[in-house]
This record gives sequence, C-alpha cells and structure tokens, in this order.
Amino acid sequence: MNRSAIINKRAFSAAQDFILSTKTFWTIEIFSQLDKEKQTEEIEKTTTYKFFAWLERHLQRYKYSGRYGIYNFYNQQHEKIKSPPKNHKNLKLDPSIKLPKYYTQIDIHQHPGGLSKDKTAGYVYEHGARSTTPLGVRNHQDLHHRFTNSILASGNPKKILDMACGFGKSTQPFYKKIPEAKIIGIDLSEPCLTLGSSIARKDQASNVTYMQVNAEKTNFKNKQFDLVTSTMLLHELPPKSIKNIISEAHRILKPGGKMVHLDFYLLPDRFKRFIHFGHSKRNNEPYMVSFAKMDITGILKTLGFSNITIEPFEEADGVLDPEYQAWRFPWTLISAEKQ
Amino acid sequence: MNQNQPDEQIFFNDPALDRAFGVVMALATEVYVLKDRQTALERILSRNGLLDLELLDAEPSEEERLNSKSDREQFVYHLMQSLTGKQVSKG
Ligand SMILES: C[S@@+](CC[C@H](N)C(=O)[O-])C[C@H]1O[C@@H](n2cnc3c(N)ncnc32)[C@H](O)[C@@H]1O
Repeated sequence: MNRSAIINKRAFSAAQDFILSTKTFWTIEIFSQLDKEKQTEEIEKTTTYKFFAWLERHLQRYKYSGRYGIYNFYNQQHEKIKSPPKNHKNLKLDPSIKLPKYYTQIDIHQHPGGLSKDKTAGYVYEHGARSTTPLGVRNHQDLHHRFTNSILASGNPKKILDMACGFGKSTQPFYKKIPEAKIIGIDLSEPCLTLGSSIARKDQASNVTYMQVNAEKTNFKNKQFDLVTSTMLLHELPPKSIKNIISEAHRILKPGGKMVHLDFYLLPDRFKRFIHFGHSKRNNEPYMVSFAKMDITGILKTLGFSNITIEPFEEADGVLDPEYQAWRFPWTLISAEKQ
Repeated sequence: MNQNQPDEQIFFNDPALDRAFGVVMALATEVYVLKDRQTALERILSRNGLLDLELLDAEPSEEERLNSKSDREQFVYHLMQSLTGKQVSKG
C-alpha cells in the first residue's frame, strides 16, 4: 500500500474520537428525546426514533468497518502485526477445537470476521472494548473492577474460573486483587487468549492460565472451583447453550461454591424491552432477545442452585438513579450458590 | 464489493435517506480528520517559528476578502447548482 492510502495513527484516532463523540451525543441528547410514555408503535413512527435507530446501527458500523474502522486499521498492518508468542506456560491452545455455529455464523456486534481466527482479531476486540460503554464509564475498566469487588466483598475464593474471558479484561482484576488465588480464563478465541496471555506476562502475573476451551463442555473435574464467573457471555448464546453453561458451572463448582454472571437481562418495562430488542437487531446480537426472555431463576432452581439473586448492576456511579436519562445497557448481576 | 452481501437494514420511510445519510456521516468524519490534521500542522509550524498564528487568526482585510470573492462564488455555484433541478447540457 502506498503511504497516502494507509490510515495514519493521527487520522485513525481523530476519526474514532469523532465517532465516539457522536455516539455520546446519541446516548444523551437523541435518546432522551424519545417519548417513553408513548406506545412503542408510536415511537417507531417518529423521525427522532428513525435517526436514533440509524445512528445506533451505523455508528457501530463506522467504528469497526470502512476506511477509519478499527478492523481496517489493524488489518492494513496485517503483515507487520506479530501474534504474541503462543508457547508460554500460561497459555494452552487447542488447535482441534470445534467452534459452534452460533459463534462463526454472525459477526457479533458488527465486528467483521468475528473473534475466531485472524491474528488481528484480539487487537480489534481490545480496541473496540475501550468504548463499549460510551457514557459515564469513561474508564471502561471500572466496570470489571466493580464486578470483581462486588464478588470479593464476601470473601476471597481460592480457585476461580472466568468463562469466556476474551483477552482477559474480566480476568485481570481477579489475578491482580488476589495473588494467592489460582485463576483460569477460558474462551474459544485463540487470538484473544493469546493477547490475554501476553498481557498477563507483562503484568508479571503467575497465578493465571488461559485455555482454549468451550465453556459449554469443559474437561475440568467435578467440584473443583470456588467461583465460576462470566461477563457479557450469556447474551451471545442460544438458550440451549446457556443451559449447558449453567449446568457445566454447577458440575465443576465445589459445594458452597458461587456462580456469578454479569450480563444484560432485567428489562422491567415495555420501553426498556423495546430499546434493548431493537439494539439486538441493529447490533447483530440475535440471542439477546431469547436470553432476556428465559426463566433463569427456574433453570437455576432445577439444577439445584440456592441463594439465587438477580439484580440490576450499577456499572457507573448514579446510573440506577431514576432521574438518569441517558441510554445504557440493562446490566444485571445473576448469582447463585451450589448447595 | 460482494454482490451476495445481505441488504443493509432500513430505518427511514425512503431508503434513499438511509443511504444518503451514510454519505453525510462519512463526509463529516473526513472533515473532522482534516480539521484535526490542520490544527496539528499549525501547532507544529508555530512551535518551530514558521507560522504566526495571530496573523492567521486575524480578521481578513477588505482587500483579501475581495480577492477571494470570485473563488467563493464559484464554490457556492458548484455546491448549489444541483438544487435548481435543471439540466446543464442539451438533451
Ligand atoms: C463480549 S465478550 C466478553 C469477554 C470478557 N468476558 C470481557 O468482559 O471483556 C464474549 C466472549 O465470549 C466468548 N465465547 C462465546 N461463546 C463461548 C463459549 N461457548 N465458550 C467460551 N467462550 C465463548 C467469545 O470468544 C468472547 O471472547
């Protein structure tokens, strides 16, 4: 590629900043113009809603795709990007892993090519994750730390499994906060796990291992974890896989062990459902809807979990205040104990 | 582009608006990228003593404005001409 065709770092950063500012405007100014009291069919007819919907879909498209998209930025340097080494003892890859259909069929949240193979996919995902929550949570890391803190408030587990850890954003707070614990992160994505392993090495963390394993069916022995977690996993899966994951968690937990999932679940009113189900369609996340309609409490009870709580999660200060007007995900904490 | 790609979702009553608004957003991004680069360029030039920022920011003289008038008018003509809905060549 000649020099002028390559997007330099300044241009990339300016374009991404522009997209993020536009998204912030959408989150506050446009979202708050929607009339929550109206019937959803009436809202859908308004011009404001049409722009709301258009922007939700296409700002995400521009974020990932096109000239200034994250995908293009990393892929134009494809030859230069070296995958981090794969032979470190904190990384266990499985070249024969079978990727489920739901995983490869759709480009989830409009990330072209998804997370499965390409060596740049980990970097693309990491870059994208910096602005998943555009507003309030300027520091997205905050979310995962809050999640970890909410769990550790009731004591430090010794052995932890982070299901669908991605590049380890959800795993890091655990290995940093409890150095004496043993933490395992599993995921399907080789590029994400490889990136996670290299970050852990930079962090000089010796208490974490990343493994390429399907969370629906792991090879871990029965009853060995004190804590099994996932963040932003369940909404990406069809109902059958969600049941598999919950029952797998039950199998590998010690009696008295805890399972906690952070996801998008509680939708207490018509307007919130309308917005969330619309997001599912516009952002290529088809299973959000079926997950939100599942009777999770019922499933947990049937499997023999107790102390079940499903409650809204405050991903940033003040967002649960009824006066809070901006768009946000329906963050929900689902926790239960194995009897 | 791959012809087998599925059709993009439609949000407006007239899909033309869906497409045209995409062009507007792409242009707006391009404008912001240029603006950012120009600001950076000015900052670097002025830091190295090659540009007098105050002079650049000052109100243009009457003469300068007159000198750019014809260029400005041609710019506007080109920009707005399509709105007349008239054919330019015979046919
Ligand atoms: C939205 S990401 C969340 C990553 C991480 N937990 C975080 O909070 O940043 C969802 C992750 O789920 C992984 N995933 C999807 N299905 C899975 C499965 N069956 N087993 C393991 N990981 C899976 C994907 O590869 C992806 O990394």
